[in-house]
Amino acid sequence: MLALVEIRRRKLQFGFVTGVVGLIAYLIIMVTGLGLGLYEAAGTALLRLNGDHLAYAANSNLSVIRSRLSDADVAQVQALPGVERASPIGYVAAVIEYAPEESDTAAIIGVIPGAFSEPEVVEGRPIGGPADILIDRSWVRVAGTRIGDTLALPVGFQTREFTVVGIVDQGYFFFQPAMFVDIASWQDLVFQGDAMEEPAASLVLIQGRDLDGVRGEGWRIVTKQDGFNNIEGVQAQQSTVDALRYMGLLIGAMVIGVFFYVITLQKVSLLGILKAIGAPGPYLVGQGLLQVLVVCVVGAALAVALAILTEATVLASDTIPIDFTTSAMTTSSVSVVIAGVVGSLLSARQVASIDPIIAMQQQ
Amino acid sequence: MAILELRDVSKSFGQGARRVDAVREVTLDVDRGEVVALEGPSGSGKTTLLALAGALLTPTAGEIRVDGDDITNYGGQARTRYRRDRVGFVFQGSNMVPFLTARENLLIVGQFGGADRTALRLRADELLEQLDLTAVRDQVATSLSGGERQRVAIARALMRDPSLLLVDEPTASLNFELGVLVVDALLSEVHQRQKACIMVTHDDRMAQRADRLVEIRDGRILADRSSFETL
Ligand SMILES: Nc1ncnc2c1ncn2[C@@H]1O[C@H](COP(=O)(O)OP(=O)(O)O)[C@@H](O)[C@H]1O
Ligand SMILES: [Mg+2]
Repeated sequence: MLALVEIRRRKLQFGFVTGVVGLIAYLIIMVTGLGLGLYEAAGTALLRLNGDHLAYAANSNLSVIRSRLSDADVAQVQALPGVERASPIGYVAAVIEYAPEESDTAAIIGVIPGAFSEPEVVEGRPIGGPADILIDRSWVRVAGTRIGDTLALPVGFQTREFTVVGIVDQGYFFFQPAMFVDIASWQDLVFQGDAMEEPAASLVLIQGRDLDGVRGEGWRIVTKQDGFNNIEGVQAQQSTVDALRYMGLLIGAMVIGVFFYVITLQKVSLLGILKAIGAPGPYLVGQGLLQVLVVCVVGAALAVALAILTEATVLASDTIPIDFTTSAMTTSSVSVVIAGVVGSLLSARQVASIDPIIAMQQQ
Repeated sequence: MAILELRDVSKSFGQGARRVDAVREVTLDVDRGEVVALEGPSGSGKTTLLALAGALLTPTAGEIRVDGDDITNYGGQARTRYRRDRVGFVFQGSNMVPFLTARENLLIVGQFGGADRTALRLRADELLEQLDLTAVRDQVATSLSGGERQRVAIARALMRDPSLLLVDEPTASLNFELGVLVVDALLSEVHQRQKACIMVTHDDRMAQRADRLVEIRDGRILADRSSFETL
């Protein structure tokens, strides 16, 4: 009763600190969402490939951009014991003009039509010919392209028309919406029809067991997750985002800690009187913690409401790579509450250690 | 029969050259229905004696009994429960929880456990009425006058029907007329409810109103007489 009545009667102080905690929690949710959004933009399309291992060119340093595999490499990988299925995959970035003066970069991924590496379409039909293309939903949202539309992809100094036949839900590859074409068409895009140098693929997507670390003369195999982690910038990005989150939690803990330390200091003589007239120490500590919980939970709820509002308004356009998931909001809110409780432990100790004799010593 | 019995109670603070003997071998009984005024100059040990009786301090030597129970060596929890159930305190300075109303300041003692809250609510209303506080019962403590605040403090001290009331300079911050009102309210409650009460004061005029007057100097009892003898 004491704790809640105090909050109600001292609305200004508690409202202020709750607001500050709410803003900090909001910041943490945003940063977490940004981390998640960036993580997805970095290469969900790679993570969603229907396999567990990837073969890269040996000299590519696990960079998809630099990886080039020959027919012989692909054949060697396919023949390995432990490989159940293996299919070549090509990657190239392409700038696509989707409206006059409006263009954007897409990740063009070449797959063998009908192979397990071809993604499932959520709308339309799979690749049926050399001029067919599957586009990701994220592209649809940005460019408004529909099934039946044509997209002009650059081949050397010219362009080549592809017809959108299906839509997939694979996400991004290297921060670009993924698009899928026949791997033969991909070869044309990359090497402008110069058959002499044509490599077979960028990577080989593999389903199989005990393949991590296996290497041949021109290639090496890693798990799909390792491949993802080696995408340029992914790790630096994630550790930056994590650092920001921990910073936010630290600031939250300190704000709560200082606020409750100060209001406890203000109440030392009152707490002494209450102890003197028979309030058990644990009861008073519990009331203090109850206030901390109320402030943190209300603050976190405010932050979640603000985040949902942000998502519905500012982020609806979907060009900002912030992704709010329920789990991100839950984790952030729970961490804010925990940070608050940790921050207030000093005050709890202070309350516990007040000697009721001070009730008689005040003048 | 005495409710409070102090037997050769001493309390000293500090060690060696810095040692202060605040209370020295005090023996004192306070009976049911009796208000003892404890009078003495500043630093004579009045507050320390009160704190000993209220188990806020442990005596260095001697024995303290309340209702026949030896409280001298009570441990932490037993002390808290003793203060909650058997002692009513009125302190010298602020007694109130500032953000609670007069009535809530009485009901707060129900939060500490071991009491029937419905009974406490009835009791609070009865005490507010008797101490002439009904009109201000829903006012926040900070908006009460000094006299009202001390009467609320007396009411709160009586909430859990203690055996013993320990009151430290209840009129220190009041003018004479208001002080008399507060002391008379205290006297009438103690007599009617048959409590034992020690009221510390350094105001002679207040001390005269008590049933008995005990004078203390340098921690020792100097005189102990029924107050009418001095008249
Ligand atoms: N906690 C303490 N530590 C040291 N000395 C104390 C303490 N409490 C009281 N004293 C000393 O004990 C003596 C009696 O104090 P007190 O009981 O407060 O007197 P009174 O209430 O009569 O003014 C004083 O000399 C005071 O300085
Ligand atoms: Mg004193």
